[in-house]
Amino acid sequence: MKKLVSLFLALILALGLSIPAMAEGTTLSVAAIETAYGSEIWQEVTAAFTELTGIQVDLVTDKNLEDVISAPMKAGDFPDVVHLATGRPAALTETLIKENLLEDITDVLSMTVPGEDKLVSEKIAGGFTESSLTNPYGDGKTYMAPMFYSPCGLFYNAGLFEEKGWEVPETWDEMWALGDTAAAEGIALFAYPTAGYFDAFFYALLYECGGPEFFTQATNYAEGIWDTEEAQLAFDIVAKLATYTEKSVPSNANNDNFTKNQQLILDNKALFMPNGNWVIGEMADAPRAEGFKWGFTALPAVTEGGDRYSYTWFEQLWIPSEAANKDAAKQFVAFMYSDVAAEIFAKGGAIQPIVGFADKLEGDNKIYYSIYDNGAKAALGSFAATDPVEGVNFADTVFGTINSLVSGDKTQEQWIEQIKTDSDLLRQALK
Amino acid sequence: MCVLPAVLLFFVFMILPTFNIFRMSLYKWGGFSSNRTFVGFENFTKLFRDMKFLQSVENTLLLIVVVSVITMSLAIIFAAILSREKIKGQNFFRVVFYIPNILSIVIISAIFSAIYDANNGMLNSILALFKGADAEPVYWLGDQSIVIYSLAGAMIWQAIGYYMVMYMASMASIPESLYESANLEGASRIHQFFHITLPLIWTNLRTTLTFFIISTINMSFMFVKAMTSGGPDGSTEVFLSYMYKQAYTNSSYGYGMAIGVVVFAFSFALSAIINAITKRDVLEY
Amino acid sequence: MKEKRKPRFTGEQLYHIFIYVVLAILAISILIPVAWVFMASIKQNVEFYGSPWALPMGVYWQNFVDAWTTARMGEFMLNSVLTTAIALALLLVVALPAAYVLSRFRFRGVKLLNTLFMGGLFINVNYIVVPIFLMFVDADKALRGIGIDGLFLNNIVMLAVVYAATALPFTIYLLSGYFATLPKAYEEAAYIDGASYTRTMVKVIFPMAKPSIVTVILFNFLSFWNEYIIAMTLLTDPKGPKTLPVGLMNLMKAQNAAAQYGQMYAGLVLVMLPTLILYICVQKKLTQGMTLGGLKG
Repeated sequence: MKKLVSLFLALILALGLSIPAMAEGTTLSVAAIETAYGSEIWQEVTAAFTELTGIQVDLVTDKNLEDVISAPMKAGDFPDVVHLATGRPAALTETLIKENLLEDITDVLSMTVPGEDKLVSEKIAGGFTESSLTNPYGDGKTYMAPMFYSPCGLFYNAGLFEEKGWEVPETWDEMWALGDTAAAEGIALFAYPTAGYFDAFFYALLYECGGPEFFTQATNYAEGIWDTEEAQLAFDIVAKLATYTEKSVPSNANNDNFTKNQQLILDNKALFMPNGNWVIGEMADAPRAEGFKWGFTALPAVTEGGDRYSYTWFEQLWIPSEAANKDAAKQFVAFMYSDVAAEIFAKGGAIQPIVGFADKLEGDNKIYYSIYDNGAKAALGSFAATDPVEGVNFADTVFGTINSLVSGDKTQEQWIEQIKTDSDLLRQALK
Repeated sequence: MCVLPAVLLFFVFMILPTFNIFRMSLYKWGGFSSNRTFVGFENFTKLFRDMKFLQSVENTLLLIVVVSVITMSLAIIFAAILSREKIKGQNFFRVVFYIPNILSIVIISAIFSAIYDANNGMLNSILALFKGADAEPVYWLGDQSIVIYSLAGAMIWQAIGYYMVMYMASMASIPESLYESANLEGASRIHQFFHITLPLIWTNLRTTLTFFIISTINMSFMFVKAMTSGGPDGSTEVFLSYMYKQAYTNSSYGYGMAIGVVVFAFSFALSAIINAITKRDVLEY
Repeated sequence: MKEKRKPRFTGEQLYHIFIYVVLAILAISILIPVAWVFMASIKQNVEFYGSPWALPMGVYWQNFVDAWTTARMGEFMLNSVLTTAIALALLLVVALPAAYVLSRFRFRGVKLLNTLFMGGLFINVNYIVVPIFLMFVDADKALRGIGIDGLFLNNIVMLAVVYAATALPFTIYLLSGYFATLPKAYEEAAYIDGASYTRTMVKVIFPMAKPSIVTVILFNFLSFWNEYIIAMTLLTDPKGPKTLPVGLMNLMKAQNAAAQYGQMYAGLVLVMLPTLILYICVQKKLTQGMTLGGLKG
């Protein structure tokens, strides 16, 4: 009997030992969200990475990546590299930021890009690793790598403007004037896919109304910031825009029906919508008014000759702090900025924020990426990360309420009051 | 003992996890890190000051009342007609009425988006016939005072068949002889309905009242997720959709679980009250 | 037959016309949308941006082919069938005797058990799924120590067990509600004939409960077949087994991703058909009941 027991124990021991032995030869697990750019770009890029470094990659892509990876993560099973942007409805990336579960990747910036002789920091375009979207805690350390950038601004039907002889407004005053002209023809001035799309819009507007310093204070919930003239100006513009918005927009401003709101632009029922250039792919199959041509502009300036901004939206790639193969993961992150990877991504329409890369673009894409060459300034950043505050979702408060402004269920004063209240709560929870 | 396997399964897969939920509701935890802080009942005190939560309570209650009352009365009437009357195509109707229940929520929400659409939806097209084409359209899913009823409409449409089948199954067990003797006495159809059918399926009705509460809480979440995402501006937020938002997208897992506990207690209490009110002696025949 | 005995013939006719009109309206309000879904499943992607009520421009069967391959439908269909079948079988074996005992016999603790199961109705899968998952993770970790790998997670049998367990309160509640209305006379007759409790239960009670058993099967079939959240959480391995609804999620639209509407509806139709067929098959059984029994009211 004793023999049997010890034999059994030895067996368990042997089995237990054999498990780490099986893990020989690192396999990097990469999880990437599948967006309009498709999943092929990821298959190619990971294949190229394996070829270069000999590190095997286990790739998972999914349209609902959060559903696929968050349960295993709760169980402590983390992928090594995750490509998943902030600002998505499921807010998984934000959750990990709040939970301090991202790996500091500042040292990646001083690594050499695999297969090249430049440093990562030399290849990433200026400004991209300086905002709260990569350095969420504002301590100068980078936790998320910038990926796939896209200028955001107002999209419109350039064909319609030519046909009617309208000028694209350069100031908000011109914008309102155009709104009245268009209203006379039964066209609304404005539409938005979902209220969430106001993020890029509102950030750019904050820059226009108060400049970079004001933006930083506002996004860090500085005390009294929402009582300033600059904030009032931004609120007034949004509230006024709400009155110029197509009335059916709030009905469809949800994840299920937002394409109907985008369709308003294609059907000449509304003039402008805030969006990013992925919308072109998203609506590629949609029917459109005769002579339709995508047009794209930065936000109108607040005053004549004032600064105009276009928000630079980008996605993020990060390493969970619980990842098993951090060194290989960091190499993978560095590889994202190689010319090889950038070109593979570009084939799917995804543009890496690499110095000089946008100059190589051709065709339609050039229009969007050259917006900054045409005088618009780049707006970067977002509301600062905080510890979780139960029941407070600032994006819902600031952007979601716009639906109520359009439908008239809430007044501008109620909106501002709520922003102030929540802002005060979040300030105390700042990281 | 016959009950043992059931109790075992039930205990391991339901009681134990629920106990865990109760425990988690006392912590501040984001859901991923090992960093959990015990906060006692703080999550609950916050909850009752959270305006958005209170709105979700209001919305859920409204849906429970509206959906249950309308669905139940319609389902009973149709069940009575289809199991008592000699109707041509009875089987056809039985099959058809049940179909909405088979459809996936995704399909239902797509259908109702097409029906409720402000510009070229079915409802507004019909209304335009009466009001004239230039009349301001009704924003079924955009007007915050209407949208919750639009949701209720879709939920009723989906649920009628389910309860109809349930009532038909229980009406089938009423002996035909009772109706025959009532007929001989010259009792009217309506009289028979209230004096034979209703009393004899009373237990079943009570049972379904509980189902109504539970399924409305559940289904409203599915419908909201598919049709409005809780919008516009939180006006269709219900219990579980708000729980989800807090637990999974606002990094407040503990808070979300506190909502779960409140929902559990709320629905339990509500149906206990209803159960007590509707108590009658079980009729045997 | 009955109608002829009524004195007012015209009123009777009116009543019937009224009934038919109401039934027809409701039927149409259901059939049109359903036809709409079938129509949508043969439309090309371009057509989805136009009026939702337009007729399809042609029959585009490719949607079904694409849906079948993209969602790995063949394989997932088998998984779904297996999971649903195991879960239903287990559920009936466990729930029927339990419901009978709980509704008929008085013993110590029966009240407590009844209350517990009743309370179980209010437990929502949406929030217990994470604890169940964590439990499985721990169990798997423990088992891996003795060399058994992946017994709990990524196993459709365990998924079926969880389905059966979560359906227990509903099923027991429904069944015991029904058992309570069954006349005791039948059992008493059986006991007098000298039948044992078990025999009475299997031979006398269960046949009488047929309509409600069919109801239970039908309802649970639907919920197991369409279940998404538990399957998603417990089947974590991207290359491992999945059920149909989980596979379908790949066809659904997501923000920032191009939607394949035609494929999505084709997939939904494929998932819906088995449930429709099942219902048509069993619906007659639902209303056959008591009259088959030996005693009359």
